Amino acid sequence: MNPESQPAIATVGLTKRFGDLTAVDGIDLELPPGRIYGLLGPNGSGKTTLIRLLAGLARPSSGSARVLGVEMPSRSNLEHIGYMTQADGIYAELSVWENIRFFAALFGERDDAALRHAIEVVDLADRRDTPAFELSGGMRRRLSLACALVHTPQILFLDEPTVGIDPALRVQFWGYFRDLAAGGTTLLVASHVMDEADRCDELLLILHGRLLARGSGAEIRRQAGVPDLEGAFLRLGSDEAPA
Amino acid sequence: MNLRRTFAISRRIANAFKRDERSLALMFVAPIVVLGLLGWVIRGQGEPETRLAVVNAAGAPGERIKAGIEQAAADAGITVERVADEPAARDALRDGDIDVVLVLPDDLFANQSAPPALRFITPGINPADDGGRVARVQAALLPALAGSAFPTIEPETIYGSPNGDQLDAFAPALVAFFSYFLVFVLTGISFLRERVGGTLERLLATPVRRSEIVTGYSAGFGFFATLQVILIMAFALGTLHVPVFGPLPAFSVGLGIANAGSPALAFLVALLLALGAVNLGIFLSTFARTELQVVQFIPIVIVPQALLCGLLWPISSLPELLQPIAKVLPLTYAIDGLREVLVKGADLSSAALRFDLAILAAIAVFLAVLASLTIRREVA
Repeated sequence: MNPESQPAIATVGLTKRFGDLTAVDGIDLELPPGRIYGLLGPNGSGKTTLIRLLAGLARPSSGSARVLGVEMPSRSNLEHIGYMTQADGIYAELSVWENIRFFAALFGERDDAALRHAIEVVDLADRRDTPAFELSGGMRRRLSLACALVHTPQILFLDEPTVGIDPALRVQFWGYFRDLAAGGTTLLVASHVMDEADRCDELLLILHGRLLARGSGAEIRRQAGVPDLEGAFLRLGSDEAPA
Repeated sequence: MNLRRTFAISRRIANAFKRDERSLALMFVAPIVVLGLLGWVIRGQGEPETRLAVVNAAGAPGERIKAGIEQAAADAGITVERVADEPAARDALRDGDIDVVLVLPDDLFANQSAPPALRFITPGINPADDGGRVARVQAALLPALAGSAFPTIEPETIYGSPNGDQLDAFAPALVAFFSYFLVFVLTGISFLRERVGGTLERLLATPVRRSEIVTGYSAGFGFFATLQVILIMAFALGTLHVPVFGPLPAFSVGLGIANAGSPALAFLVALLLALGAVNLGIFLSTFARTELQVVQFIPIVIVPQALLCGLLWPISSLPELLQPIAKVLPLTYAIDGLREVLVKGADLSSAALRFDLAILAAIAVFLAVLASLTIRREVA
């Protein structure tokens, strides 16, 4: 297959069960590269589990997930994947630079220029030697993002990246996501903030582990026949509500 | 195994330590303070005062014996108190005015075929205290009762010196115990924080192998354990005399414990033990959700080991059921190995020491495998 036409993410009947709970329920996806996908759904809808399956942190109960053409979980494929977790996942006692350098080393990134680039992108260059425990919540979020993209991954999974950060920084983050996508990176952004949805190229609505709808914000609103995404969510969700 | 990733993990542990003065103090200051205090207590401790009263119920012939006993006791530095009779003596014991009462019973001379029996009465509040005082009185009386024919005893030992104190036997065990205990607690909490703080999740989203995590952790904490063991050993084995300086009187630092063997070998024993402790910490952090729960492992995991490992009582004196347990504990082998080296001066030609080293290495490897099995990509 020609790598240009190869989907960045492809899943077939992807399912993850924890005991009686089906967190991800038979999801089929084929997502072309270089775009920003918004993974929308309420808390507990299966967003994080879906990302963990795609990032190789969990094994599917059934079905399969391919990322960049490679069946997950695959340790070697992780070199090309960046994952910004919902928790900051940074070391409080380490400085900004030490945190970034640590994750860079694990990804095999040897180029100091890449580290400097990551630190500049999140606007923390003047905090280089500050220990993370002295950073504000928003700065820690930025550091967390820098650690996820220091190895210039082809795919970036972002789990609620803008939670707890102010509107100005949110705009900055999205500007940066847009730049990455323009450079060919595929982004999958999990969020329950609907006003971020319109910044995505395509939305994936997920509820009870099932894919409810897919399309641009406008398409989904049209499909549901309501003027806003919250309404669309409620409308589409009520059709799908489990007995 | 990718060395660069392994090194990155070790370095991140060292970097975190750099900004954590408390943990550094726990690792390097606490053992010295405790060892120093213990040395002070053991060596500086005086004989407890023993106040003796002799009650004679054996009539006139007893009076002569009573006087002899009182004289011998007073000569041995025992305080002799006078009481009227046994009930008065018991009251004085109750009130804490005397410590030991020696009774010459009325039937002292009744049985000519058996040696006379004396009765000791003590408060019984602290049996160890009582035992020590009775022994002291007995030691003072033996020559007096047996007369000049009583032989004197010249002590001699194969290892160490007959004048050695408890510290000589304690110090090797404590070197092992400290590094084991502190390394376990610090690794356990550090790895728990990886698990609950989301950094382990992130770590596992990188191409790192779990063997690299375990090795990186072992090397990172092993480095600090190494420094700790060097410091504790230097303090336990060395003595640094500080001369009079200004208003300060001359004093000495270090316990100056007699050391018969190679410090390098003793160090190897302690290091193998510490590597086991790192991996035990990683393994047990799986079963804790908070720092407090890691601390709860101390009475479950550490205290029983301290009781069974030969630190306080020889393993051969343990109840039979407990002996096999003592034989699977890493501390048992570390303490035995350290005593082999420091007290007996064993080198690698000693089969006992080689055995200890082999078992410690095997336990460290076993715990490392166990630890790496708990680090799975699928954690949630």
